[in-house]
Amino acid sequence: MKRLFARRPELRLAGGLFIVLLLLNLILNPVRFAPVNLGVTLGLAAPLIIAAIASMPPILGGRGGIDISVAPLMGLVNVVIVRVLVERAGMTSPFEIVPIVLLIGLASGVLNGLLATILRIQPIVATLGTYLLYAGLTLTISPSPTGTAPAWLKSLAGTGSILPILAVVAVWLLIKRLPIHEHLMSVGSDDRAAFTAGIPVTRVRFLSYVVAGLFGAVGGLSLTGLIGSADPNVANSMTLLAISAVALGGVSLAGGKGGLVAAALGAVDIFLLQSVLTYFNVSTFLLQMAYGAALTIAVALNSSRLGALLFRGRRA
Amino acid sequence: MRGHFRISGPLATLLLVLVVHLVGMLLIKGFGTTFGVRAMLVLAALLAIASIGQTLVILLGGIDLSIPFVIGFANVAAAQLYGQGVPFAVVLPGVILAAMLVGAFNGALSSILAIHPLIVTLGTGTTLQGAVQLWTKGFPTGGAPAWVQKFVSIGGTIGPVPVPWLIPFTGVLALGVVLLLSRTVYGRRLYALGSNPRAARLALVDPVRMWTVTFALSAGFAALAGILLLGFSGSAYAAVGAPYLFQTIAAVVIGGTALVGGRGGYLGTLAGALCLIELTTVLVGLGLQPPLVQATLGVLIVALVAVYGRESHVRELI
Repeated sequence: MKRLFARRPELRLAGGLFIVLLLLNLILNPVRFAPVNLGVTLGLAAPLIIAAIASMPPILGGRGGIDISVAPLMGLVNVVIVRVLVERAGMTSPFEIVPIVLLIGLASGVLNGLLATILRIQPIVATLGTYLLYAGLTLTISPSPTGTAPAWLKSLAGTGSILPILAVVAVWLLIKRLPIHEHLMSVGSDDRAAFTAGIPVTRVRFLSYVVAGLFGAVGGLSLTGLIGSADPNVANSMTLLAISAVALGGVSLAGGKGGLVAAALGAVDIFLLQSVLTYFNVSTFLLQMAYGAALTIAVALNSSRLGALLFRGRRA
Repeated sequence: MRGHFRISGPLATLLLVLVVHLVGMLLIKGFGTTFGVRAMLVLAALLAIASIGQTLVILLGGIDLSIPFVIGFANVAAAQLYGQGVPFAVVLPGVILAAMLVGAFNGALSSILAIHPLIVTLGTGTTLQGAVQLWTKGFPTGGAPAWVQKFVSIGGTIGPVPVPWLIPFTGVLALGVVLLLSRTVYGRRLYALGSNPRAARLALVDPVRMWTVTFALSAGFAALAGILLLGFSGSAYAAVGAPYLFQTIAAVVIGGTALVGGRGGYLGTLAGALCLIELTTVLVGLGLQPPLVQATLGVLIVALVAVYGRESHVRELI
């Protein structure tokens, strides 16, 4: 653990915050964080954790790479599962539903990748376009919350809540063993140097969006388990939260720095912070205020420039 | 390259506005009536004012996600203060100044600590909105003085001319912004810093000062839009700015300004705002449900930007 933080200084803040917040939660709310309830608690956090992990690969690729359509994709997957696959097509088996969901994720990833890297539309605009498209389709398929998810999906909010996270982690560990990961990090640090070194910059970035789409689809499964029905209004608010989590974890929005642990830790921090604040039963407004302030302060403390300013005097 | 973008971007967008308008007149009954055009002009003017700051900040190479929150803050704070009996001549500059302080904080923090402005503006924006809601307990009261309501009213007139004062006001404001960008030292520095921060620093452009001033301006114009929206809707609502988060970015980008900074201008944004409102109105007029309007708009924004807002390939950057 100590070695991990020594090698990855950007994780220190998120890691420290995690320990403090976890202790606070354990003291304030021992029941919720008891080992017996770990599955349920993790189920509450899982959609945000997966959304943050899914948002990470395009950001690692640098030059404004970002995918803001991850959360709306999760919402789309949610209503497609409940309203289309279960209600209309009568599917209930995970062996039918999961492949279709992954195909939707793949299609979304390919679409975003095409727009952002091959057509070269600025990523935030390209994925804003797909954001609006998915959000619109979601509301068209299911204008209001309704329906029920199959039992096996609902168990993803309880005992099985770790499964979607494990799936995503396993895939990312696999990717880390492939050359593409090194390529992505070098493209993110300096795409021009990477290009002159012969790295297929466009292909690497394209694949980062495909991974985001696939992970987003898995996040959709997790979200469906948590809400247990089709709800068109839940996912979209997670967009900015997921990006905040990624930044809080120490993933640089400029690219080339960070990883899965950072993104996931950032998401867990946000979840634990919300959990502490809700315990005090404060108004949602104070919650929003505290959350915004915590985000700003944490990101400021995490800035490598801050240390340089404090210890070496001002040299801008 | 720059000449190409600055001349053809806004013009191309304006031509598109014209085409969309003609299509609307052909397909939708009553689309081209004076009332319809007036309504679109007012909505476009409000969006254009809210997008001034986004244009400046994006030219600098940043982005401002606090605009919707600042709009909501100004909207609620102005109504609340005016409702408590503070004269509007104090409320208006007071609220705008407070917003500018928040903006200055955004710019200073992002540039001094080298944090991405996306996160900083999101953080301060969320805090600001929470604070305002806490202050008004979620139920803002008060409203705008009658003259502000008349100023932005769709039915307003200037003598015989059937548009409210908001339209010429936006025109003058736009002229001011265009002159600011093209004829002042500040404007030159903005483009210099946006296109090449390292070279600009060597040319003695102070990045911290530029970021602080520009983000302050952005928040100031967002606050102005928030107060005008108060006159438009009559009562205060903290989430009134929500649609402006993505609409301001879309207006800037449709207008041909590049998100990487240093390329584009405000005329494009003006045309982009008009274009967005025209498209939305036509889609609604065609009888599409709101969710489908949203989905179609998403596709159209991407299609538009694909035509003339593409980035260059990495091999051209070496």
